[in-house]
Amino acid sequence: MRHLPDRSPTRRDTLLLTSCVVLSGAALATPTPLTQSLANTLRATALRPVVWLQERALEGRTSRSRFQALEAARDTLALGVLDRSALQQENDRLRRLLDVGPRLGMWFVGAEVLHQPVPTDGRTLLLSVGREDGVRQYDIVLVPEGLLGVVAEVGPRSSIANTWAHPEFRVSGVTADGAVLGVVAPGASTLATDAILEFRGVAYRDTLDVGTVVVSAGLGDVYPRGIPIGQVIGIRQEQPGWERVYALRPLVNPGIVSHVLVARPARAPSPLLPGDSGGS
Amino acid sequence: MREREGRLAVWGIMALLVALHFYVRPRLFAGRAAPDFLLVALLLYAMRTRPGAAAVAGWVVGVTVDVLGPARFGAGALAHTLVAWLASWGRSVFFADNVLVNAGFVAGGLWVRNILTLMANGTTSADLVTAATLWSPLQALSTAVTGTLVFILFRDLLAPRGDR
Repeated sequence: MRHLPDRSPTRRDTLLLTSCVVLSGAALATPTPLTQSLANTLRATALRPVVWLQERALEGRTSRSRFQALEAARDTLALGVLDRSALQQENDRLRRLLDVGPRLGMWFVGAEVLHQPVPTDGRTLLLSVGREDGVRQYDIVLVPEGLLGVVAEVGPRSSIANTWAHPEFRVSGVTADGAVLGVVAPGASTLATDAILEFRGVAYRDTLDVGTVVVSAGLGDVYPRGIPIGQVIGIRQEQPGWERVYALRPLVNPGIVSHVLVARPARAPSPLLPGDSGGS
Repeated sequence: MREREGRLAVWGIMALLVALHFYVRPRLFAGRAAPDFLLVALLLYAMRTRPGAAAVAGWVVGVTVDVLGPARFGAGALAHTLVAWLASWGRSVFFADNVLVNAGFVAGGLWVRNILTLMANGTTSADLVTAATLWSPLQALSTAVTGTLVFILFRDLLAPRGDR
């Protein structure tokens, strides 16, 4: 590095700037799957040391407040587990009576969120688990409070999740009592830490009270039923006689979440698989 | 010999900032106003080198940010390239080696970087206004404070060669 009194740009400087701008523009114009593949490769090779360093930093982050939060969460879970045993037995008995198969479980793996100090952090998040940990595209990303997002890209040891703040995020939702169905999407002016969600496509005849919890409806193959998404805070817009769009306060803040579960609901085997000898 | 030592010292400070960025920041700071040590390192370099070299350094840092902060690939590279170039060129205009000038460079650089990144990501105007008036100024402030501390702590090592 030299200290030069006169540093007005020379032709060489301009050429270097132009090259860098052209390369950046080319990267912006390249299709996403190609750039994601390149990014995955770089994360797993050249930038592996810094990803490793950040993972270790997060593992070592054991502040007093975090410990207290974990303790509170563990106590809540312990209380829930006490009730669960009786409910489980009752549920199994009812399923046997109705000739319904056992409830399907859920595969999951814990992951650290590697936040970056860039303005787009919160819409997409870098997770510390990847293909080698069993993660697949479209696995769901959860925290104890509810749904955070879905895995969009998977690398060997890391993956990228689109959170609910991502403009392309959609999930079919239903009120906790199962009465009203709709589609949950990010609000029109979404930023990660102060944003709202919209509960769209609610029939005009259905009215939701402020505070109603909306959970995933389980339609489609990605999100299982019953994961809390948000709480109704009011009507965002309405088309009289047709539909209302409700504003939801998300239950999870992607800007500050540090530990998540990447999960995948177990699928029931299809009864119509070729070669299947037939049902019972 | 002294020049070589000085150069090594500056690279040492860069390495320290990189370590702070990837090891200390995740432990201590959460949220969108967290200081960006990588940008401080880039601007430190850019303000002490030619615009062309600064642009290349900006592009490398930008690609790193694009790979680790998964948004639209190329947005960070473009933003960091332009900011590094402007910092290097601007340093020749605002030539005073003053702590406040340096802090202003860092804060301004971060704000411009954030706005350029969001624009290259195709962010809506409402989001852009929120980022420009709320989160980016907060992050610019925290990063400028960090940059100022670095300048004060390592002032002798970071001073232009003729001033040492």
